[in-house]
Amino acid sequence: MTASAQAVSVSLNEEQRDCYQELTNVAMGQAADRLARLLDVYVVLPIPKVNLIEASDLRMAIQDAETDKAMSAVCQGFIGSGIAGEALLLFNDTSFNDLASLMNYSGELDRYGELELLMDVSSLLIGACIQGIGEQLEIHFNQGHPVVLGQHCKPGDLLKAGNHQWTQTLAIEIHYTIEHVNIDCDLLLLFTEDSVVRLNNKINYLLD
Amino acid sequence: MTDANIELGDIHWLMDILQNIDVGLVVLDRDYNIQLWNGFMESHSGLSPQKTRGENLFELFSEIPRDWFMKKAEPVFQLKTRTFTIWEQRPYLFRFKNYRPITGRASVMYQNTSIIPLESIDRSVNHICVIIYDVTDTAVSQADAESARESLSERNRTDLLTGLNNRNFWLSEMEREFNRCQRSVLPSSLVLFDIDGFRRINLNHGHQTGDQLLRSIAASLQQMLRQTDIICRYSGEMFAALLVDTDEEEAAVFAERIRVMVSNLQDSHLPTDSPVSVSLGIARFQNDFPLAQDWLQAADKALYHAKQSGGNQYSIYQPEHTPGQD
Amino acid sequence: MATNVLICDDSSFARKQMARALPSGWQVDVHFAGDGLEGLDAIRAGKGEVVFLDLTMPNLDGYGVLEAIRREDLPAMVIVVSGDIQPDAQDRVKKLGAMAFIKKPVDAEKARSVLAEYGILTGA
Repeated sequence: MTASAQAVSVSLNEEQRDCYQELTNVAMGQAADRLARLLDVYVVLPIPKVNLIEASDLRMAIQDAETDKAMSAVCQGFIGSGIAGEALLLFNDTSFNDLASLMNYSGELDRYGELELLMDVSSLLIGACIQGIGEQLEIHFNQGHPVVLGQHCKPGDLLKAGNHQWTQTLAIEIHYTIEHVNIDCDLLLLFTEDSVVRLNNKINYLLD
Repeated sequence: MTDANIELGDIHWLMDILQNIDVGLVVLDRDYNIQLWNGFMESHSGLSPQKTRGENLFELFSEIPRDWFMKKAEPVFQLKTRTFTIWEQRPYLFRFKNYRPITGRASVMYQNTSIIPLESIDRSVNHICVIIYDVTDTAVSQADAESARESLSERNRTDLLTGLNNRNFWLSEMEREFNRCQRSVLPSSLVLFDIDGFRRINLNHGHQTGDQLLRSIAASLQQMLRQTDIICRYSGEMFAALLVDTDEEEAAVFAERIRVMVSNLQDSHLPTDSPVSVSLGIARFQNDFPLAQDWLQAADKALYHAKQSGGNQYSIYQPEHTPGQD
Repeated sequence: MATNVLICDDSSFARKQMARALPSGWQVDVHFAGDGLEGLDAIRAGKGEVVFLDLTMPNLDGYGVLEAIRREDLPAMVIVVSGDIQPDAQDRVKKLGAMAFIKKPVDAEKARSVLAEYGILTGA
């Protein structure tokens, strides 16, 4: 394995993009299944978006995910076989009421109540997604502790601009909605720049 | 790493690591009975592995809410997923004292935990491992940053001498109420008041006495307030109160209570020779005030009338500028 | 005689995976379709005696394909192959006439046993 420290230009051809999309499709299906069983609902599965994005586009990607509504977000790092990244779960604040009733949450739905719900859902969705992708690529991902990026924030304020150590990276975006209720959230998987090269190698092996 | 490679000697030092590692490791079986309890846990709980082995987690540690913990742990058994708790949710799982007298400023250890599935040979999950991380430092420094932010924003709205709201904060609240009133049928009133002859008190007894008088009045005012009343030191010896859902009659009752409170003020730091009194002006919101400023001016006019009529009284604003009743 | 097998999935990677999972020694002519509309055309043209059908696809999704097959009474035995493994999704496709459900990533052993169970796999 050659780990080059200098900036590697990352690339993604159509075949690779298709492969990432399919891997994600399977992983998010597993995540949705867990959520569906937990909440006793049907989760609508979209086609995931796979893109190479510039650091400067990250905020836009997130703002794009949801416009100007107040959001809460949890971030969790993962690493395995030299492939590292972070998962970001953005939760629309208007989702909490329905979520609380689906989860039979009996406490008061204040900041702490919302934090509990946020943590439970993010544990589930992020964990299942990461593990799902890992299993298909035969990577065991270790997960770091979740970090609450903010509650009741504008999406643009959740990430500070200009302190990213990468220029371009792979982003996978999944927009989950739940049938008949007002719950929606975005799951964004971002890999570090140097991980993308290794990931692409893994993918190429699958594509052979 | 495969288990087949681990020889007996290796197990010995693996156990050493387990005992000495600076995180807590607890293995639980399906009934939440403790199966493994490492050195970290022993040191902090004072309970030996022999004491805890086979004991039920919830019986041994009553501080752990069973329902809450099971909500986090059951998915680990059932779905083979990992779950996490962070100190922001619940400061700790196990109530351990913070043992550092010098660097420790929190009384308890803040904890993050990971709960991971442990697969048996047949790939079923009959045990889970709870990993406990000491995150007191992070929690304390974050709490510091937060309280600094809070006191900063507190400072931005507080009058330093009296501890009441300052004028800027009050004006913005008043403006907001003014806008709300335009859409509401409920009345709201302003009361503007100042201390009669305050300059004379300053002159005769010194500024320190004057300041003490302001503080003393502010302290008594705070006792009288309802939850929704917003009061401030407007300027010098002038105070302003915003009374939500209050018409002029109710505001007059409030004003009279202030007048009586001030005239009965007992404070050993204050001069006993000259009695202290206040004059008050009351203005109820009216739809023909074009601006919030006009509402304030109306209260000011009423205050002026009260002063003109000899002070130590309140006056209610009348559009025709006649002095109100005493 | 070779059986006409259609693999209908918008992902070329998934189509390849599915094709690889087909039992060796099974006499088949494999056809591919990239979305539901293409798939339906292939089925109408007799290329889909056995169909491996994905659910989430652009243009026409798997549910739409199943509805059309039923409406037009097309001779196709459909095995849904999907990442959407929610109980609800499985119920829905069964109600729409799918013969079986295989979860992704598809595994050769599972494909073989499903085909054998329904007596499709003969002579292999």
